[in-house]
Amino acid sequence: MEPVVQFDHVTKNYGSQVAVDDLNLSIEAGKFVTLLGPSGCGKSTSLRMLGGFEMPTSGRILLSGKDVTRVPPNKRNVNIVFQDYALFPHMNVAKNIAFGLELKGLDNKSIHRRVSELLELVQLQDYANRLPNELSGGQRQRVALMRALAPDPDVLLLDEPLSALDAKLRQQMQIELKAIQEKTGKTFMFVTHDQEEALTMSDTIVVMNNGRIEQMGDPSTLYGRPGSVFVANFIGETNLLRSTVLGAEGNLTALDWNGITIKADQGGLSPKAGEHLYVVLRPESIHCSATEPTSGNRIKGKIRQRVFKGNHTSLAVEVGDGAVLNTLVHPGDVAQLAGDDIWVGWKPETATVIPDRHAHR
Amino acid sequence: MRSLFSDAPRVTLTAIYWAFIFYLLLPLTLMMAMSFKDANFVAFPIGEWTLDWYAKVLQDKQFLEACLYSIMIAAATTLAATVLGVWIAMLIVAEGIKGQVIIFALACLPAVVPGMISAISLRIFISTIDMPTGTAAIILGHTVHAVPFVVVMALTRLRSMPGNLVDAARDLGADSFVAFLRVTLPYLGPALFGGMIFCVLLSIDDFVRTFFLGGYRPTLPMLIFAKVQGGMSPEINAMATLVLVVTAAVGLYAEYLTRRARTR
Ligand SMILES: Nc1ncnc2c1ncn2[C@@H]1O[C@H](COP(=O)(O)OP(=O)(O)OP(=O)(O)O)[C@@H](O)[C@H]1O
Ligand SMILES: [Mg+2]
Repeated sequence: MEPVVQFDHVTKNYGSQVAVDDLNLSIEAGKFVTLLGPSGCGKSTSLRMLGGFEMPTSGRILLSGKDVTRVPPNKRNVNIVFQDYALFPHMNVAKNIAFGLELKGLDNKSIHRRVSELLELVQLQDYANRLPNELSGGQRQRVALMRALAPDPDVLLLDEPLSALDAKLRQQMQIELKAIQEKTGKTFMFVTHDQEEALTMSDTIVVMNNGRIEQMGDPSTLYGRPGSVFVANFIGETNLLRSTVLGAEGNLTALDWNGITIKADQGGLSPKAGEHLYVVLRPESIHCSATEPTSGNRIKGKIRQRVFKGNHTSLAVEVGDGAVLNTLVHPGDVAQLAGDDIWVGWKPETATVIPDRHAHR
Repeated sequence: MRSLFSDAPRVTLTAIYWAFIFYLLLPLTLMMAMSFKDANFVAFPIGEWTLDWYAKVLQDKQFLEACLYSIMIAAATTLAATVLGVWIAMLIVAEGIKGQVIIFALACLPAVVPGMISAISLRIFISTIDMPTGTAAIILGHTVHAVPFVVVMALTRLRSMPGNLVDAARDLGADSFVAFLRVTLPYLGPALFGGMIFCVLLSIDDFVRTFFLGGYRPTLPMLIFAKVQGGMSPEINAMATLVLVVTAAVGLYAEYLTRRARTR
């Protein structure tokens, strides 16, 4: 099937500053795609170029197969949900939502029907006559979303739309947003620097760094098999063990980490002996016990720090000279306190190796 | 510990303030008081009180015609100044236009040029282009004077406007003109209204420019001036009092409206 959105070698420079660097990206219809990356990596710029508010320095942008690189925003069938919502302050909720419909030339009756339908979708029927400043943050958010959805765009663009909300409401809106996306079957292109948000909602996550795509994939792949140190660090908490390859053992590879021999999944690489690699080990993959585990990687260490986090407890375990592994345990499972000895272990296949290079340029 | 001495600056300031208010209000109060005097001379003491002067003013055809003429000129001035002022303000905030500081400085110049100089130069200008003195010339002169005030008020409001409101409108299918009409203009609304009222008051009040550019038909200030030259009479006081009360009411009402709109 033809992708709805295609970035074809798109570059955007501001003076000497490269905001987006040779971006190639295809997005399938009906998917919830998230652009994830640190501040200043070019997420908004990419979105604004797709919306028609910035002109790429070079490259092409295609929408449903049509080249729209030079088409003004009002002639593109995409709509944006802005970070601060940008609701028209002098129009009530219904008028805000109707704005795009009126400009499409729909008759009053269809406009009215569509507005009620959308208000119902987010349970705001009773607020149709309120002005934006008479709404709560969450309600404004919903109105902005419905206003952008109203004209039935090919793609809905969302630039950090949840960042102005408090943590609780944000989680609620994440779920609601995903539900609306599934219900409407629209393609959503969502921008965030919050990896948790990205993991919660996305079908596909595009991790960006320095204006380039670092890695692209579904959430579990990105989390479980990060392709670079940057991605491993950016998504979730992680232990990165810089190790030297000793040799392959089936799907696994044996490595030397600080004089300790460990095994890890090859993660699609074919490591050669003597090569330096990083082992990615998620805290929740590590098990702690008082006695030596019978199989898998195991190391004896000492608890340096024990922090209660509510539904889990995090332990920082010192193994060998200065190296520390961060782990997560259930509060009841481990009785040892800071200073006590403990065994840490993990199944080799839960750890994966990634090349030893920092964020490539 | 507070002493009388340490309070001295405060007391002095308060005294100066009240003296100033007194100085400000006394002439106005005197003028109003005289308009109710039942005698032909503007002087104390006021023996008998009357409303006759007001009755006379309101039946004075000359006065009513001058009022109408002034209002007509004010309306035309306001319309022209608003269109020009908003347009200039939009130019100044627009991206990618060079020399915005210069545009701003030039637009504001007429507000600081002395009225006399501006009047003379305008007079020379219209005679150079063979424009007769009269209504059109007056409107031209008043407009030049009023534009800076509209520019400043519109600019202040435009600068506080979230940049992506217009983006949002464009995104939803509006071309730049529709976005201006349906989003920018309503957003400017309250500030613009305040600016327009100010234009009206400026125009009605303007004497110097009108004097240099006007024809035979007198505007309100010209009429009052002519009457004063014919000798003071409580009728003039009544006229001035009426003008004062109406303009003050309009000004206060406009201020109230803009304030209410701003807090929303
Ligand atoms: N109008 C502009 N003029 C100059 N530089 C710009 C402009 N807009 C963005 N940039 C630069 O381009 C880079 C990418 O900016 P962009 O807004 O796309 O980042 P972002 O990923 O959205 O970041 P954030 O998470 O902080 O919103 C940044 O380094 C920024 O400084
Ligand atoms: Mg951004």
